[in-house]
Formats: sequence, structure tokens, C-alpha cells
Amino acid sequence: MTPTISENLAHAALEINDLTVAYIQQGSQKPALWDVDLRVPEGVLMGIVGPNGAGKSTLIKASLELLPRAAGDVRFFGRSYHQARRQVGYVPQRGSVDWDFPTTVLDVVMMGLYGRMGWVRRPGKPDRARAFQALEQVGLADYADRQISRLSGGQQQRTFLARALVQDAQLYFMDEPFAAVDAVTERAIVELLRQLRQQGKTVIVVHHDLSTVSEYFDQVTLLNREIVASGPVNQVFTDQNLQKAYGGRLNFNVGVGQVGAA
Amino acid sequence: MNLDYTLVMVALGGALLGALSGFLGTFAVLRGQSLMGDTLSHAALPGIAVAFLLAGRDPLILLLGAGIAAWIGAQMVRAITTTTRIKEDAAMGIVLASFFALGIALLSYIQKRGDASQAGLDKFIFGQAAAMTVNDVLLIGIVGAAITLIVLMFWKELKLITFDPAFAAANGYPVRWLDLLLATLIAVGIVLGLQLAGVILMVGLLIAPAVAARQWVNTLGKMITLSSLLGMVAGMVGAVLSGADRGLPTGPLIIVAASILVLISIFFAPGRGVIYGWWLRRKQHGLS
Repeated sequence: MTPTISENLAHAALEINDLTVAYIQQGSQKPALWDVDLRVPEGVLMGIVGPNGAGKSTLIKASLELLPRAAGDVRFFGRSYHQARRQVGYVPQRGSVDWDFPTTVLDVVMMGLYGRMGWVRRPGKPDRARAFQALEQVGLADYADRQISRLSGGQQQRTFLARALVQDAQLYFMDEPFAAVDAVTERAIVELLRQLRQQGKTVIVVHHDLSTVSEYFDQVTLLNREIVASGPVNQVFTDQNLQKAYGGRLNFNVGVGQVGAA
Repeated sequence: MNLDYTLVMVALGGALLGALSGFLGTFAVLRGQSLMGDTLSHAALPGIAVAFLLAGRDPLILLLGAGIAAWIGAQMVRAITTTTRIKEDAAMGIVLASFFALGIALLSYIQKRGDASQAGLDKFIFGQAAAMTVNDVLLIGIVGAAITLIVLMFWKELKLITFDPAFAAANGYPVRWLDLLLATLIAVGIVLGLQLAGVILMVGLLIAPAVAARQWVNTLGKMITLSSLLGMVAGMVGAVLSGADRGLPTGPLIIVAASILVLISIFFAPGRGVIYGWWLRRKQHGLS
């Protein structure tokens, strides 16, 4: 079902107001995020870019209540995270887990179904079938029974994506899915993002590679502890805004026009 | 006949405690909490001494004292890491050493009192299976069965928080409570095991079976099964050997048995074993 325009206006997929996150880190006095306002309409692919330490992952984690918020309000389709949880999927950075954990690819993918399975119940045949289908979508069907310690980085990433797919969410957060993956995986992820958009889903992606932003995303948010700019790529992804987000650290040419900093 | 009965109890108690340690140790190892287990077991010693001074030598009271002291130790590690800049390993080292030192001091004091009933408290240092009675075995059996049941009930939840706690939290699981549940079960297992393996070496009975098991198998279910079996073998062998000769402390014998299993596993396991690795590299060099 495609939402009508008025619904779109009423409830963005994600709406963040006045979000501030304090960083409980040694020696750091600056907040990790300061007074962030962000609105992501339904059905768009949005990239979040910014320098290291800009709070990109923090923005995702604070939205999902994995980190405490000092202030602010986050709404998903107009509802709180607690109410909208089943509509929200999450792909953590793949480096955040121990891939030597004794389990198989299919088993990891099925973890995406635990939330709706409820307590104590064990996954059954339909769950396995659903997980296998998601593995086919990311091109890992042949690896279903493989021990996860024997996956390449790209295969690990696709396993995480398959796990998010079985969550069957309306809004996805992906933390650096393109980081250090092979070309096959990069293409698979891009293809997957387009499929998700076709289904009317919203995807928010923390991204590092400025040169692919215009190609992969409809909208972009430039972040450096505060929101520098956010909106459609062709309006927002400008030299001036990049300059503001990255300061003097940026000295290469990207996407829309030239960046002249040294 | 009398000797046979004692030996049967010792073997049974050793096997049950070994299996329980191997079972719980799987989670301790996968969660990187091995040293926390060591801290808990050392921290239990002053609790045993204080319980004895307050309430005499009832084994249940002694276990309760051990549990309370271990819990206080765990809370102190948490308090140190959250309120200071001291890192967790240092905090665990501080708590482990200071609690153990206090425990040894209290035991010496108890011994010097010349109180005849103090005999046997030192069994908690290196473990003593020979004193195992049918009541001990029953207690171990009942508590062990309850722990196993709880873990099996929350199997997929415990697996998820062990592999990917952030994803679990994002899916609405109360990760902190599940963490606490698992830590509590591990602590109960450790406290039960102290009479067998002793506070110094208990960590070995917790970790060694799981480390050995991981070498051979590739799923959590198989790992926890094999780890329980290996723990059972080590526990029983150590208990019987020391039970047959009252002079030998149980803990060291169990840990020697468990360490042999670990060594065999590290070298000879297919896939993850050292020798398999050598063979694989040789083969690859030969081909290229």
C-alpha cells in the first residue's frame, strides 16, 4: 500500500526533535549529539555522512534507545519506539559482534524473527523457510549451513542484512553496511536498497564513501554533532555544506561539484 | 561397603558438578566473562569464613555466605568500573586479591581459635570431594536441574544476548535483566562447585570444558552438550582419584584432568586444531 500524500505529511518515517546525547567518555566534554532535528519522509533512501566522531552511529543508537538520551524526542511513523518497534529493523556494524560465535548463517538470520516469536517459543519450519528466503535475497542461499566464523567480511554483512530483512520492517537503520566489503556485496546491498524503496520502505544508512552518495541515496544528512544540512541530495550535498560538515579535512572532489578546501 | 558408598557419592557429586560447570562455562567463555568467574570464586572465601563464625558449619549456611560474598565482590567490580577510570580487568584483580586475602586471614584466625569444629573449612581452598554426602549430591542435583531448565527455557533469548546484545535490545529484549539472570546462574554454579574444586581453581572447571568443546563443534547446542560431558568426565575423574586417597586435594586433580582434555582439543581437533592448521598450510604450500 502506498501511503497518501496527506499521511506522508502527517507522519514521517522518522522524526527527531531536539535530540541531545551526552558522551560518557573519558575526557570528552562535548556532547556526542547536540540539538538534532531530523525528518525522514517515508519511502526514501537516506544516507548519513559526516567525519569520524560526528555521532552518526550515536544518532542511530540513541534513536533505538540503545544509548540514553539527555534530551529530545524520537517518533517512528508518529509513534514512540516502544509502540513502533515491530516496524523498525536494525543492522548493527558487523564488527560489533564476535563472528567466532558457534552458530550457522541460517541461525543468525533467524534471530531477526525472535522478536515476533515471543518468549520461550523455538523457531519452527516456517521460520527456517523465511530465513532461507532472505538468504536467497542477499545471494547467500548456498551458505545457509555454514559456520559464521568461515564467512568473508562481505558475507558477514549480507548475513546481517538478511537478518534485518526477516524483521519485515517499514523503516531500516543500517550502520556502515558498505564498510570494507567486496564489490559483489556492495552491488548486492545497492540492489537490496532499491528493492526496499520499491516496496515503499524507508532506509537510513550511515555511510562513509562520499563519492557514492549521489548514486545510492535520494536524501542525505550531513552530520557533525549537529545537523549541518538534511534533504534531497541534489539540494543539500553541496561543496559549501560539505565544507561546513568536514571543515578543512576534506580536500577531494565528490558528487555535486568541486570541493575547494585544502 | 562403606567405602563403596563414599566413593559412589564422590563420583556422583564430581560428575554432576563437573557437568554443571561445563554447562554454565559455555556462556561464561562465549561472553568473555571467564575472569569474572575467577573473581567470584575467590571473593566467596571470606563469605564462607564469616558464615562459619556467625552460624557454625552447616553446609547450606556456608554456601549462602559464599554466595553473598561473591555477589558483593561482583557489585564492587561494577562500582569500581562505573565510578572510576579503572578498567575492568584491574578492578577484578583488586577485588579478587583483596577478598581472597581477607578470606585467608579469617581462615587463619578461625584455625588459631583451636575450635575443633573448624576442621574442614580449608577444603574450600583446594576442594575436597571425599567429604561429599548424599545430601550434598541431592542439593547439587536439584539446583543443577533447575539451572539447566531455566537455561533451556530461555535458550534463544540467552543465545541472542550472548551473540548480539545490541540487536537484542533493539528488538525489545530486557538485555540487562537477561544478563543478570545468566550471571546469577553462573554465580550459583560457581558457589556449588567450590566444595569440589576450591576457590582457587574453580575457574578452571568453569572454563576448560567449554574451551575444549569449542574446538570440536560449531553450534551452541553441541558446544554446551559436549562441554557438559567433558566437565562431567573431568569432575568425576578428579573426584574419584582424590576420594580414593584422602591426602590428595580434589581441585588440582580435576583441573589436571580438564587441562589434558583442553590440550588434546587444542592440538587434535579437526578444523580448529593446531595440527590441522599446520597440515592445511603445508597442503596449500604444496599446491602453490
